[in-house]
Amino acid sequence: MIRRLKILEHALSSLLRRKYKNLAIIVVYSFTIMLLASILFLTHSLKIEAGNILLDAPELIIQKTMAGRHDLIPVEYADVIRKNWGIGKITPRYWGYYYDAFTHSNFTVLGSDTPLPILKMLEGTAPSRPGECLIGEGVAAVRQIGIGDELILINSEGLGVIFDVVGKFTASSDILTNDLIVLGEADTMDFLGFPPGKATDITVEVLNPKEVQNIAGKIKRDLPDTRPITKQEIIRTYDAVFNWRSGMMLTIFSSALVAFCILAWDKATGISGEEKNEIGILKAIGWDTSDILELKFWEGIVISLTAFLTGLLAAYVHVFYFGATILAPVIKGWSVLFPPFKLIPFVNLYQVFIIGFLTVVPYVASTIIPSWKAAITDPESVMRG
Amino acid sequence: MTQDTIIRTQGATKIYNPTLPDEMVALDNVSVTIHQGQATVLKGPSGSGKTSLLSIIGCMSRPTAGKVIVKDRDVAKLPERYLTHIRRKIFGFIFQQFNLIRDISVQENVALPLYPADAGFAEIRKRVHTMLDSFGILSKRKLKVKKLSGGEQQRVAIARALINEPEIIIADEPTAHLDRELAADLLNILAGLVREGKTVIIATHDPLIFEHPFVDSTIAMRNGKIEPQPEEQ
Repeated sequence: MIRRLKILEHALSSLLRRKYKNLAIIVVYSFTIMLLASILFLTHSLKIEAGNILLDAPELIIQKTMAGRHDLIPVEYADVIRKNWGIGKITPRYWGYYYDAFTHSNFTVLGSDTPLPILKMLEGTAPSRPGECLIGEGVAAVRQIGIGDELILINSEGLGVIFDVVGKFTASSDILTNDLIVLGEADTMDFLGFPPGKATDITVEVLNPKEVQNIAGKIKRDLPDTRPITKQEIIRTYDAVFNWRSGMMLTIFSSALVAFCILAWDKATGISGEEKNEIGILKAIGWDTSDILELKFWEGIVISLTAFLTGLLAAYVHVFYFGATILAPVIKGWSVLFPPFKLIPFVNLYQVFIIGFLTVVPYVASTIIPSWKAAITDPESVMRG
Repeated sequence: MTQDTIIRTQGATKIYNPTLPDEMVALDNVSVTIHQGQATVLKGPSGSGKTSLLSIIGCMSRPTAGKVIVKDRDVAKLPERYLTHIRRKIFGFIFQQFNLIRDISVQENVALPLYPADAGFAEIRKRVHTMLDSFGILSKRKLKVKKLSGGEQQRVAIARALINEPEIIIADEPTAHLDRELAADLLNILAGLVREGKTVIIATHDPLIFEHPFVDSTIAMRNGKIEPQPEEQ
């Protein structure tokens, strides 16, 4: 053990001797790790957030289509849907998007006269009278308002409408409520300009989840101008979108990976004359081949673990404290128009292990292998060069 | 002074790059005997094979053919790990260019041979300090070697060679980069080691060394072979 500590001490001393070179390696190495880890952290976190949102989502959403586009759905379609067996509650939903020209943000406006599953995250109260609203943290932040303040919005006719803020979401999952403005259903219909008898979509509770596909098929047959969307389809879409985006980012940043590989290859294909001479000296004064390999192992592991942990930490801070400013425009896509939101940190240890395995192991190997070639040679030959 | 043989070579031959166009015979069938507790000088011009013979004797390289018997054991065919063990336990090396690691401290340089051994940190520190003190450079222990003068570097190199308390000291052209005063200091140190019973083997073409009174025997070399002694001619 003491022998090992002594060799480790010499390894640290060796690294300090070449501090500028090693610092440059650590910077490049950490940056590569940070990019890779940021992509994976962000994608994973968004998937988890999306999954959380969908926990309370209805099994089936029915949208009306017109010319292949989403259109407002007649509320009386609910009566047609209700004729199917195995169906529970059917609820028309009134919601839409609102572009706020003052803050250049997109808000989601939702009408609700009944308690929402997310109301447990409420601070204040839900709107119970006309002219009241409940807002997400992002809306409150960009508009710099809180409970007791007024929220002024421009309605579909271009007129200013004032709502009293009676509640604010303090969601643990920011992405869920961040851009949300909840109004009463009548206020929503009026503000967004819904024609009478029309809703945004209709949610359908399916009593037996295994029957979702069958019921969706029946509804499509009964109402050919609708598009039933199942919860599973949404989950798959989220997965596909985020996987595609993270894959695209990984492809773009593969150039950083290539640079790192070149660095590793440069190390693997040879060591400097100075390093060779040093190995020769150590051998001559009684160091065994295994001692030299252990020395080089420590050097490699110190560099790679330092860079790996620095890169991981930087990625964590970048994604979860700075909102992934480098990657968000690509990974999050259209949602960048929303007020900025904080991701809840979710880290997949398996992904961390894979990043570590694919970078630390090759780097340590690329440090040891050329030294091994020198270490098994007679010291006189090594020093002779 | 004992006349016991400590090292013997029998027909030692060293060929660099064998079978290649730049093949070079550095040693050609060399047989020498080194006696314990004596100072032996290998002398000859550059390229005569002194350093190659010194390397083979010191288990720093292996002969292409022949035997190298160190303390009654043929080491020519031993695996590397045994040679390392022998180097660590028996030999101390003073190289022509000192071969110190210039960017680390004096005390770390001197302590390096002890790192693979079983000694603890406290013991290493004590031994290193004692050794540096004996060479008058204890006050320089924390300086980097590159900050030292040539003479001080030479003392560090000798201290490192002796820190493992080796039986045999091998020095390759130890005065090559020293002025006369420093060279004289070095010879006094080597003479002191012989007086302590150490075996000293020096490769040199510096007459200051092989004409020095502490030298017991001289082996002349030329073109990779032993030159006959005058009385043998």
